[in-house]
Amino acid sequence: MSIEALNITKKFGHFNALQDVSLEIPTGELVALLGPSGSGKTTLLRIIAGLEFADSGNVRFDSKDISDRTARERRVGFVFQHYALFRHMTVFENIAFGLKVRPRATRPSSENIRSKVQELLKLIQLEKLAQRYPSQLSGGQRQRVALARALAVEPSVLLLDEPFGALDAKVRQELRRWLRHLHDEMHITSVFVTHDQEEALELANRVVVMNEGRIEQIGAPDEVYNHPATPFVYNFLGNVNLFHGRIDDGKAYIHERETGHVVYVRPHLLDIDRRPNGGDHFRAKIKHINSAGPLVKVEAVTEWGALVHVEMSQDRFRNLHLLKDEAVFVIPKDVKVFEAREPQVKAV
Amino acid sequence: MAYRFWRVHAAKANFMGGAIALNPRAATLTASASSRATLESAAVRWTLIAVASLFLALFLFMPLAMVFVSAFSKGIHAYLASFREPDAQAAIRLTLLTAGIAVPLNLLFGVAAAWCIAKFEFIGKSLLITLIDVPFSVSPVVSGLIYVLMFGLQGAMGPWLVAHDIKIIFAVPGIVLATIFVTFPFVARELIPLIQAQGNDEEEAALTLGASGWQTFLRVTLPNVKWGLLYGVIICNARAMGEFGAVSVVSGHVRGLTNTMPLHIEILYNEYQFVPAFAVASLLALLALLTLVIKSFVEWQSKRQLTEDAENWSMETA
Repeated sequence: MSIEALNITKKFGHFNALQDVSLEIPTGELVALLGPSGSGKTTLLRIIAGLEFADSGNVRFDSKDISDRTARERRVGFVFQHYALFRHMTVFENIAFGLKVRPRATRPSSENIRSKVQELLKLIQLEKLAQRYPSQLSGGQRQRVALARALAVEPSVLLLDEPFGALDAKVRQELRRWLRHLHDEMHITSVFVTHDQEEALELANRVVVMNEGRIEQIGAPDEVYNHPATPFVYNFLGNVNLFHGRIDDGKAYIHERETGHVVYVRPHLLDIDRRPNGGDHFRAKIKHINSAGPLVKVEAVTEWGALVHVEMSQDRFRNLHLLKDEAVFVIPKDVKVFEAREPQVKAV
Repeated sequence: MAYRFWRVHAAKANFMGGAIALNPRAATLTASASSRATLESAAVRWTLIAVASLFLALFLFMPLAMVFVSAFSKGIHAYLASFREPDAQAAIRLTLLTAGIAVPLNLLFGVAAAWCIAKFEFIGKSLLITLIDVPFSVSPVVSGLIYVLMFGLQGAMGPWLVAHDIKIIFAVPGIVLATIFVTFPFVARELIPLIQAQGNDEEEAALTLGASGWQTFLRVTLPNVKWGLLYGVIICNARAMGEFGAVSVVSGHVRGLTNTMPLHIEILYNEYQFVPAFAVASLLALLALLTLVIKSFVEWQSKRQLTEDAENWSMETA
C-alpha cells in the first residue's frame, strides 16, 4: 500500500511540530524519517498511524483519503519506541491480541490463532519463550515480540518509532539486518523514525531528512549523503569541517575576503601530506592523532588558528609516519559550497 | 596465560578479603552503603523504637484488646446473645446493604473519574480533582447536613419529595447517599496516580491492533491497575461500614430500621449495655483487622508488580 501525506501542518500549543509537510511513499518501500529531536519526525509517523491528527492536510493510503479514520480503522502495524508490550500478558498472548480482539465474524478460530502465532514466533526466533512475560525478556527480544505483534494483524503498512533506540550497539546492528531481511521477504511498505544517520543510511531505500517541522531533502541514501540539498543535510549526515570564504570565478577561496560563503568538507575528503604537491592546500599543525578504529582521525590547527578534522586510512597513516606537533599540508579532495545561510549544527 | 590470570584474580580476591576483614559486618549487612551511613547509634535507635512501641501499645493495641475483653466479660454466651437480638441483626444487615450499594457505585465512579482525569486533557480538570477531594476535607457531620438540607422536610427538594411520598432523610436512601458521599474519593484517589504513571503506550498499541475502546479498557488498562483498584475498594469498604458522623445525621436512629452497626453500638453504649455494645464493636474491629490483612496482601502484590515494572523499565533504558 502506498502512503501519501499532503500539506500536513500540526501545532502543539505554540510549537510548530510540522509545517506544510508533503511526502509520498510508494508501495513496498522502506523509508527512514531522519532528523534531530524536535524535528517532527515522530509526529509525522503518528499522524500517518492515526494516533495523532493533523491540524490541516490529508493522509492517503493507496490514493484513498483516510485523514478522518481512527488508528483502529487504519489497520497499520505500529511498533513503539519502548515496545509497549502488554505487561500482564505472555509473549504468546501479546502476539495473539490483535487477532483475539477482532469482531466475532472475522475472528479466526483459536486453532488458527495458535498456528498464526506459532508461525510468527518462528519468524522472530522466540518459539521457546512463548510463555514468558515481557519483564522476563531482554530488550532485543521485546523489540522482536513488538514487531511480531504488529505483523500478526497483517497490516499493509508497518510504522516503527525509533525501533532500535533503546538497544545497545551490538543488538541494534543485528536487529537492523534482521529487519532489512524481513522487509526484503515481505515487501510491506515500511516507515521508521530515527535520529541515527548511520541507521537511516544503512537500512532505508529512501531517506527523508527532517528539521524543525519541515522536510529538508528526500532521496536514496547515497543521494542524500553525496548530494546534500542543504547545509543542514550535509551537517546532519556526517562529520564536517566548515571554512568561511568567498566564491570567485567558480573557485572557492577560504579565509580570504570572506563574502558569507561557507565551504563544507567531510574529514575523509581531506588529505594530509608533507609537500603541497602543486594542488590546492593550506598549512596546519597536527594536534592530536587517534588511530583506534578502521580510520585514523587526525586533529590539526590551521595556519589561521581554526581546528580541522581529517580522516585517513590506516595504510596512508603508516606511510606518512605522522607525528604530533608536525607541520603539514592539508589538501581538499572534494568540497561543497553553500551560500550565506549559517548552519544550525556545529561542525565536529 | 590462564595461570597468570588466575594469579591476578587471586590477588584481587585477597585484597577484597582484607577489606572485608576490616569491617566484618559490612559483608553481612544487606542494606546499601548509603543506608548504613545514615544509621543512628544504637542508643538513639532503641529509644526511638521504645517510644514508638509504647505509643502503639497505649493508644492502639490496648484499646483494641479492651474491645474484645469487654465483649467477652460475661462469657461467650452473653457475647453470642448480643447478635441474636433483632435490632443487632437489622443493624448488621443495613450496614452490609449500605456498603453493598456504596462500594460498587464508587468503584464505577472512581474508575470513570480516574480514567478521564489520567488519560485526557480538558478544561476544568483541576477543578474536578479538587471536587473529588471535598469529602475528605469536609467534616462528616457537614456531609450529613448537606443531604438533610437537600432532601429534608425543610430542604430544597423536601416539598416535592413529600408530595410524591418519597422518603430519603431518616430512611435507608439517606444513609446510602451519605455513605456514598463520604467514601467517594477512595477509589479515584488510588487510581489516578497509577493510571497516570502507566502512560498511554499500551492503550495506543491496543488501538492500532484493532481493539475497541471498551476492549482496550477491559483487556489492557484494567488488568494493569487491578491491585490498586482492589486496594481502593478495600479501603472504601472499610470506611463505608464504619462511617458514623454523616450517617448519624441522616439516620434518625430508628431502631431496627435506620441504625447501622456504628449507630447501634452508640445507642447500646449510651444505655449502659456494655457487653452487647462491645460485642457488636468487636465485629467491626474484626472487620477492620480482616481489611488490614487483605490490604497488606494487596500492597505486597502491587509492590511486586511495581518492582517488576521498574526492572522492566530499567532494562528498556539500559
